[in-house]
Amino acid sequence: MDILFLLIPFSVLLVFALMAAFLWALQTSQFDDLDREGTRILGDDDPDLDVDQASPGALARHSSSP
Amino acid sequence: MATLPLTLAPPTATPSGADGEAAIADDPELQAGFTSWERAGDGRRVGRSHLRLAGLWCAGCAGTIERALQAEPGVLEANASYAAQRATVVWDPAATRVSSLLATIRRAGYDAAPDAAASARALRQAEERKALWRLFVAVFCMMQVMMYQAPLYVAEPGTLSPDLRTLLLWAAWVLSIPVVLFSAAPMFRDAWEAMRQRRIGMDLPVAIGILITFVVSTGATFAPGGLFGAEPYFDSLTMFVAFLLGGRYLALKARHRVAASLEGALSRLPSAVRRLASDDRVELIGLHRLVPGDRVRVLAGESFPADGPLESAAEVDEALLTGESRPVAKRPGDEAIAGSFNLAGPVVQRVERVGPDTRYAGIVSLMRTAMSARPPLLRAADRIAAPFLWGVLLLAVWAGAAWSMIDPTRAVWVMVSVLVVTCPCALSLAAPSALLAAAGALIRRGVLVQRFDALEGLAALDTICFDKTGTITEACPQVLLAELQPAGRDAGLDEAGVRAIAALLATSSTHPLSAALAAQAPALPAPITFTHVAEFPGFGVQAIGSDNRVYRLGAAGWATRGGAETVATAGPETWLAGPDGALARFAFAEVLRADAPQTMAQLAGAGLELRLLSGDAADRVHDVARRLGIAEAQGDATPADKLDTIAALQADGRRVGMVGDGLNDAPVMARADVSFAIGEGPALTRSHADFVLLSGRLGDIAEARRIAQRAMRIVRQNMAWAVAYNLTCVPLALLGLFPPWAAGLGMAASSLFVVLNALRVDRRPRSPRHPAAEAAAA
Repeated sequence: MDILFLLIPFSVLLVFALMAAFLWALQTSQFDDLDREGTRILGDDDPDLDVDQASPGALARHSSSP
Repeated sequence: MATLPLTLAPPTATPSGADGEAAIADDPELQAGFTSWERAGDGRRVGRSHLRLAGLWCAGCAGTIERALQAEPGVLEANASYAAQRATVVWDPAATRVSSLLATIRRAGYDAAPDAAASARALRQAEERKALWRLFVAVFCMMQVMMYQAPLYVAEPGTLSPDLRTLLLWAAWVLSIPVVLFSAAPMFRDAWEAMRQRRIGMDLPVAIGILITFVVSTGATFAPGGLFGAEPYFDSLTMFVAFLLGGRYLALKARHRVAASLEGALSRLPSAVRRLASDDRVELIGLHRLVPGDRVRVLAGESFPADGPLESAAEVDEALLTGESRPVAKRPGDEAIAGSFNLAGPVVQRVERVGPDTRYAGIVSLMRTAMSARPPLLRAADRIAAPFLWGVLLLAVWAGAAWSMIDPTRAVWVMVSVLVVTCPCALSLAAPSALLAAAGALIRRGVLVQRFDALEGLAALDTICFDKTGTITEACPQVLLAELQPAGRDAGLDEAGVRAIAALLATSSTHPLSAALAAQAPALPAPITFTHVAEFPGFGVQAIGSDNRVYRLGAAGWATRGGAETVATAGPETWLAGPDGALARFAFAEVLRADAPQTMAQLAGAGLELRLLSGDAADRVHDVARRLGIAEAQGDATPADKLDTIAALQADGRRVGMVGDGLNDAPVMARADVSFAIGEGPALTRSHADFVLLSGRLGDIAEARRIAQRAMRIVRQNMAWAVAYNLTCVPLALLGLFPPWAAGLGMAASSLFVVLNALRVDRRPRSPRHPAAEAAAA
C-alpha cells in the first residue's frame, strides 16, 4: 500500500483545487439565482445555423463581444 | 378647486414619455445612484448598472430579457434574476445609454427602472456569498477529513502501519486548518466581541469547544502518547463546524429574505414624475424636484409620488397600508398617498406633502425603527442565556476533571460534547423568533408593531377601552350644519363667515373634527385673522383675533365658558365662541366605522370587557355604546378622567388596552398596558402607540390579538423544547454517550426547530372564520 504515500498528499492538493473551482463559480454569480440556472436549459437560445456565413451581423458580433 | 374635463387634453410640445424619462436615466448625477464605473479587459471605461425589472412572470422571462439586452450593441454583459426581479448590465458608454437599455427591455415586453436600492442589496449579496463560501469549505473539508479518519475507525488493530496512520492524520490536520481558521472565524469573532463587552454570548461555549478539540487533536497527531493523548477528533471538529454553519447560513438567508421583501414593499415611489405646468403642459422631472402645490399626472399602473388630493375619480391600490390589493375608489378631492398605485386611468393629483412628510416616509421610518429594535430583545435573550452558559462551562470543566480520573482518554471528548450539545440558542431564540414572525405577519395585514414586548401584553389583555371620535367613528365626519348663534348675528357674521373662521382655527388643530372643519375650503377669506394659536387637547383651540380678543373653537362647555351646553343631537358638535359669547354651533354627521359592530362582537365573544371612553356628550356616548353592544360607556371624559378610569381598572388587577387616534389620547395610551393607534393622516405615523393600525380597520385588533396569542403559545412550546432538549442531552453527554459530531448536529437541529416552529405563527386556520371557531382557536 505504498502508493498511498503518493495518493494521499495528492488528494489534499486536489481538495484545494476543487475549493478554488467553487470559489470561482461563486464569484462569477453562478449561485445567486439557482432557479434561473435550473431553467436555463429550457431556453431556446441556439442561434440559427448560418451555414454559408452570409449574414453580415455574425462577423461584427463576434469581433465586438469579449 | 378647478375641475378638469374628464378627457384630459393631450400634452402639447412636450417630450414624449420615453424621452423625458431618458433625460433622468442618463443624468450623470442621478446615474451615480445605480451605476458604477469600471475598466473592461481592454481598458475601456464601462458602466455597470443595476436595474429594477417588472412584469416577469416566470423564471424564463429573465432569460428573455438577458437575450434582448445582449443583442443590443454596446452591451457587454447582461444578467437578469427572476427571483430578485433585478438586472445588472455592463455597457459601453460610447455605444449605448441607459435609456436605450430601458427601451430594449420595454420592447421585449417588460418594464425596467433604475434601481436605487442597489447598494443595500449588493451588501446583502456579498454577505450571502461569504457565508456560502465558508459553509462550502466546512462541508467539503468535513467529507474529506472523515474519509481520512475512517481507516482509523475500521482498521483491525495492527493492520494499519504507524507511518500510514500518521500520514492520514497529517492530511486530516491540513484540511481542518481552513475549517478552524476560516469557516469558524465568525464564531470566534462573536465570542471575542461578547467577552470584550464582558458578557457571555452563545458563541463562547462553541468557540471554546472548537479550540480545545483542535489543540488536542493536533497534539495527538504530532506527539502521540504525549500530553494530549492519542485520539484525534478532526472528523468531529469539522462536522460540528459544518452543521453549525449550516444553521447560521439558513438563518442569514431568512433574514435577508425579510429585508429584501421589506425593501420591495417600500421602494414604490417613481423616479420620474409628470408635472403639469400652469398651462397644462407636461414636463418630466425627477421626484426630488417636486414641491407642494405642484400638480402631477399619474398614469394607470404608476404609483403616486406624493400625498395629495385627486382632481378626478380614480381607483387606487393601497396595499402599502392595508395589505389588501382590492381597489379603493377615490372621489374627486379624496387624498391619495405616496406609494399607492393608480389602477384605472390617468388622474391628476395636487401635491400637498412630499418626501419626508409623506405618510409613506413615516411608515418607512417606523418600520426601520421597529426592525432595528431587535437588539434590545436579543440582549434580553442573552441575559437569560448568561447564567445558563456559565452553568454549562462549569459543568464541562467538572466533567473533564471527573473523567480524567475515570478514563483520561475520554475526558476531552466528553468536555467538548457537553460544551457543544447544550443549546442556549434554542432558549435565546425561543421568544424572539416567535415575536418577530408575529410582527411580520401583522405588518402584512397592515398593523405596525412598534414595541415587540407589547405582543406579550396583547395576548394577556382582558379589557379594552375605546375612544369614540376618530376611533370607532370614521376619522373625517361631514359638517352637517353651521348654526349661527345670536352673538354671531350681532357681530355681523353670516354662515359663510363663521365657517371661514372655524376653518382657519381648525387648521391648527389635530382633532378629527377639525379636519372636517378645515376641509370646508370657504370661498371667501375669514373676516378675522388670528395669532397666538394654542391647542388644548380634549377641549379645543384658542387664539387671539385681529381685534385683540380671545376666540375659542371646541367643546361646548369650554369654548363658551359655560354659556352653552351640548344639545342632544345625532352626532358630535363643536362650538365657535368669541369674546361676546357663542358665535356658531357646528354639528357633524357621525358615521361608525363599517366593521365596528362586528369587531365589538368578536372581542366580546373572545371574553374581553369593552369600554367606551369619550370626551363627547354622555348621552351620545351611551347611544353609540348601545348600538355597538358595549356594556360600559363613559361620556364627558376629560383626558384626566380617562387616565383615572384606566388606573382604576389596572388597580383592580386587569390588563387594559387602549384604542385611540394616537395624538389626542397620548398620555392615556401611554398609561394603558397595550395601546393601539388608528386613524388617517400623517399624524398617525408620529404616534407612540404600541400598535399602529395602518389599515384603518378595527377588525385588525381582534386579528392582532389572535396572532399574539398564537405567538405566545409558540414561545411556550419553544421554551419547553429547549428545556427538554437540554435536560435530555446534557446528562447523556456527561455520561460520555454523546459523541461531539452528534452534539454539533443536535445543537443545529434544535435551533432550526425553534425557528421553524416560530414560522407557524402566520398559518391561517383552514376552516372558514366565524366567531365560534375563532373563540375555540384562540
